[in-house]
Amino acid sequence: MNVILAIKQYISKMIEEAGPGMKVLLMDKETTSIVSMVYAQSEILQKEVYLFERIDSSGREAMKHLKCICFLRPIRENVELLAQELRMPKYGLYYIYFSSVISKQEVKVLAEADDQEVVREVQEFYGDYVAVNPHLFTLNIIGCGPGLGWKTDLLTRTVQGLTSVLLSLKKCPMIRYQNSSEMARRLAENVRQMINKEAALFEFRKTDVAPVLLVLDRRADAVTPLLNQWTYQAMVHELLGIHNNRINLSNVPGISKDLQEVVLSAEHDEFYANNLYMNFGEIGTNIKELMDEFQKKSKGQAKVESIADMKAFVENYPQFRKMSGTVAKHVTVVGELSRLVAKLSLLEVSETEQELVCQGDHSACLQKIRSLIGNEKVQHTDVLRLVMLYALRYESHSNNDVSGLVEALRKRGVSDKHRSMVHAVLEYGGKKTRGTDLFRDGDPVAITKRFLKGLKGVENVYTQHQPLLNTVLDQLLKGKLKESAYPYLGTSQLRDRPQDIVVFMIGGTTYEESFAVHHINRSNPGVRVVLGGTTVHNFKSFLEEISQPVHGQTPSHMTTRTVHW
Amino acid sequence: MAGVAEIREGFLCPICMKDLGTVSQLQDHFEEEHSSEDKDVLQQLRGLFDKAKKRILGDKEGGDSTDAGETRKGDNSKPSGGIPGFDPSVWEPQDDGVTRSHTDMFRSIRDERIDRYVVETNKLLIRLDKLVVNDGVFDHKKRKAYEKSVVNWIPDNQVPKCPTCGRSFTLTKRRHHCRLCGGIMCDRCSQFLTNSYARKLTDPAFQFEGENGFLKRSDSNSSLNSIASPEGEVHVRTCQECRKLLERRDQLVEQRNTKPTIVLLYEKMRSCISDCDVILEQYIPMVESLSIGESSYSFQDAQRYRLKLVKLYEAVDQLSKRIMVLGFEDDKTPAAKQIILQKAIRSYASTFMQENMMGLQALPTIEQYTNLQEKRKIEIQQRIAYERQVTIEAQEREKRIEESHHKDVPIKSSNTSPTKAVVDRERSDSQKVSGWKPQVEPKFVNSSSDPMIQQINIIQGYIKQAKQVQKWDEVEMLEQNLKELQKEYMNQQRQNWS
Repeated sequence: MNVILAIKQYISKMIEEAGPGMKVLLMDKETTSIVSMVYAQSEILQKEVYLFERIDSSGREAMKHLKCICFLRPIRENVELLAQELRMPKYGLYYIYFSSVISKQEVKVLAEADDQEVVREVQEFYGDYVAVNPHLFTLNIIGCGPGLGWKTDLLTRTVQGLTSVLLSLKKCPMIRYQNSSEMARRLAENVRQMINKEAALFEFRKTDVAPVLLVLDRRADAVTPLLNQWTYQAMVHELLGIHNNRINLSNVPGISKDLQEVVLSAEHDEFYANNLYMNFGEIGTNIKELMDEFQKKSKGQAKVESIADMKAFVENYPQFRKMSGTVAKHVTVVGELSRLVAKLSLLEVSETEQELVCQGDHSACLQKIRSLIGNEKVQHTDVLRLVMLYALRYESHSNNDVSGLVEALRKRGVSDKHRSMVHAVLEYGGKKTRGTDLFRDGDPVAITKRFLKGLKGVENVYTQHQPLLNTVLDQLLKGKLKESAYPYLGTSQLRDRPQDIVVFMIGGTTYEESFAVHHINRSNPGVRVVLGGTTVHNFKSFLEEISQPVHGQTPSHMTTRTVHW
Repeated sequence: MAGVAEIREGFLCPICMKDLGTVSQLQDHFEEEHSSEDKDVLQQLRGLFDKAKKRILGDKEGGDSTDAGETRKGDNSKPSGGIPGFDPSVWEPQDDGVTRSHTDMFRSIRDERIDRYVVETNKLLIRLDKLVVNDGVFDHKKRKAYEKSVVNWIPDNQVPKCPTCGRSFTLTKRRHHCRLCGGIMCDRCSQFLTNSYARKLTDPAFQFEGENGFLKRSDSNSSLNSIASPEGEVHVRTCQECRKLLERRDQLVEQRNTKPTIVLLYEKMRSCISDCDVILEQYIPMVESLSIGESSYSFQDAQRYRLKLVKLYEAVDQLSKRIMVLGFEDDKTPAAKQIILQKAIRSYASTFMQENMMGLQALPTIEQYTNLQEKRKIEIQQRIAYERQVTIEAQEREKRIEESHHKDVPIKSSNTSPTKAVVDRERSDSQKVSGWKPQVEPKFVNSSSDPMIQQINIIQGYIKQAKQVQKWDEVEMLEQNLKELQKEYMNQQRQNWS
């Protein structure tokens, strides 16, 4: 149940099937992301793949001495482009792999285009998702549909992505879904239909305990994507933004040219792999260690006196260069993070966020938010987060002062568009839609816990929050997840505690949740959870996600509503 | 030699060479230390070469499993639990994902179409051959009759419009026949196949030097007569369909028969690289063994291998450099993608060299090597002395505890073979393991005078020789024999005991 490995195996199998010789990899926009997430270019170069091309790029030249490996999504556009390509082939031989199920009709179209007999293989390799970490995948879709329904094409894409995860991991699961979400039910049913339709593909050796696919909806927990994060991966995504393992540093003051865009890949960067889930403070210490180590080696470099020294240095060279690369990169990234933390008073903001979510004193929270709105250092988006969190948290509190806060935002100069988000988030994940008791106000156990926490003091005020997913998975693993809230699709039910679980979050998951799943995997031997989402959110992308449902409405309507507040 | 006095005898652990003194101690030791390796013990006893072979195989497996192996390796190399962030260390390796092939269906659809092309093209070629061979017939009327005999011309009245451009035929817009399929088209839609190109198509031995096999139409108004022989070149009028078919075939033949320079160079480079891989597999264990002072491999062999490797690396370097600059001549530069390709190949080669050449352990010099050997000898002797001391103490302890065991402690009985072994080792470490070998057997036998043992030793000698000349298949066969012999021998011994 390692999605990175699954994709890697597919790709290396493709390359293997093409045999020795010079090769070119022909991809579309999406498969390019899929491949680039698991393989570094240098790594794939060692398999004799020397060129990477996009099927939709026009500037490709004929090179008949190359074998062409095509890895494409089975969409009509690609099939048409490929048929064109085959009529006038630019490369010697073609090995075609589609990332999901392709229709017989489309195969026929391609076969009829292949007059020159250049095609050697036509296969389906189910790598139709972007693997981020061994237990995390995404489909890079932001905004699943207007209102509470699916956009048809996005539903199709999601079903393809999700079934290909199941096929690549060889799992034929029992399906459970979040009852409060119509979208979750539809997705679950569509996946079930696909499994039934392609039953031959899903015939695996039965395991003792059937795997479970759990389909959730982001709406049940709109809080998690609103919070500031303090573990390395999540924090980088929140403050700098990670897109297909790349982060853009061009806005960093005084950045050197070669560091304007850096790649952070746990597969190829040991330091990153070791620190993904570390707290910000711990990373500082680790960076220092790394630098000391580097310094030691650098000194060795200065003292190259004898030939023996030189030899030793050259022998160390590849490692040395690699290391210096990672050092410079992480020093820059962490430096930028701490600059932002100080400049934007993120510690204060985060403390208030956590208090809002995890403790419950309304008036104290309100006061803090007001004072932060008055704080010049705090940026607009961060006060917006706070107000949005407040709106969700005290939606039905008798003294709720959302309108007062929105007015304060207006005075501060927060744009109309951003202010409308406060309402949008209530619409998206408010009490009415989420259907679960996110803050567990009614749960006496939770209240006691909260009270005790308040007495004992917490270990780390910035990381008190636990995403809802944690609770759901915990209950699922203990076999205590309520059937009424998360029903099975179909009649069969799991009697034992599940071991292999694929969780899919419609509306996008977060790195905080990924960290939670990572923790569950580590602390429950025998349990393997893979988490996926239509995307992996930070606050910015989540704003886009929740502004989608409102899109259907006219702008004027939106303004009147804002004025009304 | 002082060493001779230090006879290695008694109950030596076959794996760590520790002298345990008594049967029960050996057993205890074995259970404690090596129980996990139990199954491997037999193989371990079988001598150094076996070990080496296993190593080679092991290496190969590591290399073969490509990147699946790599990632797994990557995961395993993390100390378990030590590094957070990589959980799959606790997850077992996984199968490849599901795949489904449409290739057969694709082929059947394509072949149906292709067959039609092939039949059609072949027909055209036969006709073309006839036309070309008899191009001596220049008389207009005779020629026409001859052409009509090659293929049936479609009657004029059946075709009112040019099927290619769709315009009606008139007095000025006349019908023309394709000499290959007999079809009708207008003048503008006609194609003219030069005779030399036609010869090339029909006769593979024919040398063709023109750029294009079809005459270029100068303009739309050129009439038949003006084209009759523009450059004095004889030609055949064809339709567009026939032209396509002929050109398609020509391309296929062309592609099959020619290899561009880059491919030739590249193939050479690849073969050098795979040669390197083969030699490296043997060279690395050699260097490792030599540089700790063992003499299981010959120093000269290693030197020879090293020389070979260096030469191959140079070849790879040269070839990849040549590939990189290919096409850069006389102000000409190759196409953009071609440059990227060539650079990528060069960087592939340099990565290969970096990974293997940089890490290529240098051999110790002869003097260093001799020193190493000396040092190792002394170390071994020290260990022997120490273990002997321990053994004596242990034996005394055991003597006191349990008298009954003493009757089968075979210290004296196992005298001969271990002595010989140590002497061997003193002379040359290359027999180290096989030399040790008899020592594991004192439990069963008291001398190597046993014909069975002799036979085993002989076969082991053969294996060593075969290894030196690198006849791996023979080695394998011999090893099979050895295994059988040893099994038989064990059985015999067991019977003797009971």
